[in-house]
Amino acid sequence: MVGYIIRRLLYMIPILLGVALLVFTLFTTVGEDPVRIALGNHASPEAITELRSKWGLNQPLHLQFLDFLKQIITFDYGRSFNTGEKLSALFAQGALVSLSLTLPPFLLAVMLNVSMALVVAYYRGSIFDRFATAFFIMAMSISYLVYIIAFQYILAFQFDLFPINGYEAGFRAIPYLVLPGIIIIFVSMGPDVRMYRTVFLDEIKSDYVRTARSKGAAEPRVLFKHILKNAMIPILTYTVVAIPFLVLGAFLMERFFSIPGIGDLMINAINTGDFPVLKGLTMYIAIGYSIFNLITDILYAYVDPRVKLD
Amino acid sequence: MSALKKTLLLSSLTALIALGLSCKPTPKTEDSVTDSKGITSKKMVFNYLRGTAHKSLDPMKQFDSASADLVANIYDRLFEYHYLKRPYELSPVLLSEMPTLSEDGLTYNFTLKKGVRFIDDPCFKGGKGRELVTDDIIYSIKRFADSNVNMLSYMLVEGSIVGLDEFHAETKKLGKETNYAKLPVAGLKKIDDQKFSITLTRKNPLALLPFAATQISIVAKEAVDKYIEDFERHPVGTGPFYIKEYSRRGVMVLAKNPNYHGTYPAEGDSGDKESGLLADAGKKIPFIDEIHLPLIEEPQPAMLKFQKGQIDWIGLDKDNFNKMAYKDEQGFHLNETYSKKFDMYAEMGLVMEYLVFNMKDPLLGKNKALRQAIAYALDTKGYIEKMRNGRGEPLKSITPIPIAGSQAQTETDYYSYNKEMALKKLAEAGYPNGEGLPEIVIEYRSANSATRQDFEFLRNQLSTVGITLKPGFQTFSAFLTKIESGNFQMATAGWAADYPDAENFYQLLYGPNSSPGPNHSAWANAEYDKLYKDSKYLPNGPERYAIFAKMHKILQDEVPVIITWNPIYFGLFQKWVGNMKRNMMQDAPFKYLKIDTAGKKKGV
Repeated sequence: MVGYIIRRLLYMIPILLGVALLVFTLFTTVGEDPVRIALGNHASPEAITELRSKWGLNQPLHLQFLDFLKQIITFDYGRSFNTGEKLSALFAQGALVSLSLTLPPFLLAVMLNVSMALVVAYYRGSIFDRFATAFFIMAMSISYLVYIIAFQYILAFQFDLFPINGYEAGFRAIPYLVLPGIIIIFVSMGPDVRMYRTVFLDEIKSDYVRTARSKGAAEPRVLFKHILKNAMIPILTYTVVAIPFLVLGAFLMERFFSIPGIGDLMINAINTGDFPVLKGLTMYIAIGYSIFNLITDILYAYVDPRVKLD
Repeated sequence: MSALKKTLLLSSLTALIALGLSCKPTPKTEDSVTDSKGITSKKMVFNYLRGTAHKSLDPMKQFDSASADLVANIYDRLFEYHYLKRPYELSPVLLSEMPTLSEDGLTYNFTLKKGVRFIDDPCFKGGKGRELVTDDIIYSIKRFADSNVNMLSYMLVEGSIVGLDEFHAETKKLGKETNYAKLPVAGLKKIDDQKFSITLTRKNPLALLPFAATQISIVAKEAVDKYIEDFERHPVGTGPFYIKEYSRRGVMVLAKNPNYHGTYPAEGDSGDKESGLLADAGKKIPFIDEIHLPLIEEPQPAMLKFQKGQIDWIGLDKDNFNKMAYKDEQGFHLNETYSKKFDMYAEMGLVMEYLVFNMKDPLLGKNKALRQAIAYALDTKGYIEKMRNGRGEPLKSITPIPIAGSQAQTETDYYSYNKEMALKKLAEAGYPNGEGLPEIVIEYRSANSATRQDFEFLRNQLSTVGITLKPGFQTFSAFLTKIESGNFQMATAGWAADYPDAENFYQLLYGPNSSPGPNHSAWANAEYDKLYKDSKYLPNGPERYAIFAKMHKILQDEVPVIITWNPIYFGLFQKWVGNMKRNMMQDAPFKYLKIDTAGKKKGV
């Protein structure tokens, strides 16, 4: 097991190098020029040269890339081009905010959607199943933005059930996070329930389910003890790799609900060519994704005794 | 089983809603405030919004409107544009009166107001804000001219103060070793702690205007030295408000500076008295105790919050304008439903929209008749009506209408849609009905849907006379690179006044201002340049306007640019907001506004 983990950690190095090279190439070839964005349209050539030099953008590309690699190793991405703020503080603050927005609804959604999928799969072929499938397909077909606008208008503005938008630090943030949380759960229902339903349907038809029933096992036991446990591998794959992206928040949600998380930070960084922010966030996400992939593989061994980590 | 799951689902949702209800935040306007005499009253909180996050609160390092709005409320300048009077004129802020000019017209003598103090801050001895003195003014002007600090706005004073350009150049050479004490500027002279003078390089009636810009706000050396890099997040000013809670991407809270030196204007424009705008004349400002400024980047939540009374003042965007307002022969109005709840303003912006031709382009640059044909083929009035809900006026001179020296004074005329003339000019250009005319590429600075719609409208218009347009959509920085390198045929452009003077617009076509200056057309005309220089230092009046009219005639004939329209800006404010008069040179005049807290509680 330890050897497997070390091997997988070593595999991450070329992956991260590839990500770094890709981000760097994209930024330097097609991204906004941060100097021109910062100085606007009255900038003198001297000012442009000066700022380029201050930000290290006048160095040859290979040296800039080496600097980037050094930042990845030291986890020090410096300061934002845009605001001069320290990125470590900015990321830590933004990640907490984004997680407070996305993590609770994510966990709730997993529980709710798995339960719903189990019920729908149990009634497979019935009118209830057909109605549910049609409903979830319809729900999937509507844009995320429409849900945000409609829920915000109806629940917050018309019925006054939630604050329209806003954010405050600590526990005072809770009222502001409930409506975005409901939307996240609602939006996840369509794709998630359909995906889990397919997984459960595969299991329900299995021989071991028939055997369990023929041995007189109660339906709840068949569903939760046998089917759910055996369906865990695809469910784990689907959910665990989504965790690193929770840190990224939900860009639209953060924007419409004025929640100062990482998603909004990243979009603004793309628009203004704030390369240090982009570099830092992309690398954190790449590292997070690789680590959670590893965790998923380790978890496989726990939920399925047939899987051996050699 | 299914019943159990359904119950679980319903109860979870109910719990979430209950959580939201139970934790719903209480509006902060209900708080109270106790003054130095121990009298408790209802706190006057003004709720506004920030559409984008600011970049820097260091006055000399900012050039974006989000930063300028905050800086203007935390720091003071020597002048500001009078809150009520139109056309816009300077009024003193940190000065006891307007400066006097020496007989030779070269030296301005200034006297500072007494008793102006910086807010209390640990950067001062004992943490107590000290009195503002002449040294602060000279330090701030030098810091503004320091090329290591200010990379964005030095051009506002370039060439106008004796010795300042040399200082600017020297700071470039010295870099971080720059020591202001060892670099005197001949044109900046301290007389005593309250008096100083500024000597100009030549007579210049525009010389004082830059001192109303937020970039030349007055800062304290102690604060700059203490906070260094963090100075842009830790402002220390003499302004009407100070930062109580700093949150760049959350809610910024500004609190009233209890020792602020300012008073509400005693004079206004005609009609201001009748509309109650002079009821507070001479009273100590600010009236508002706190300003809450959440960052709300999307128009929908902003408008919903406004309609709920959680925001006191909001700009009206195109979509909401369609829903809430309309235009008739008398002007702009709110629909009945909204006019009962809110008040509205419609104010002409100090902005000129135009199209630029690259005069170095072998097709357009050499063919005046072709440029004229395009000018005749544009239906600017139709564009304003259809694409901008009528929220603008076609321009007949390069200067926006509210600025002295515009079409109101020069009485000039300009191209309007005329298909026959467009076809005639096209034939004269060698392309009858557009036959043989290659596609013309027009550059845009973004690729969003509004830009694409604008292009479609323009393409349709020009296609009616046989001119084919092709779009060049790109990022802002790619656009700038293309324009400044002269690698374009036609481009969209707009210019917002740096200061409310016609010169700021006529300079856009001055030959020596070619790229990287603002004259992107690279057009140069000796007669125009001479007239520009003649008009630049003249005071407003018939003589100057006559020169403007001559310059306009040249522009109309040569068409290096097509002047299009002057936008009108709309805004809504709650009926409980007092002293509101939209001033296009002061985007955030919070110090003059007030809230009728009793009215607000009742919702009227």
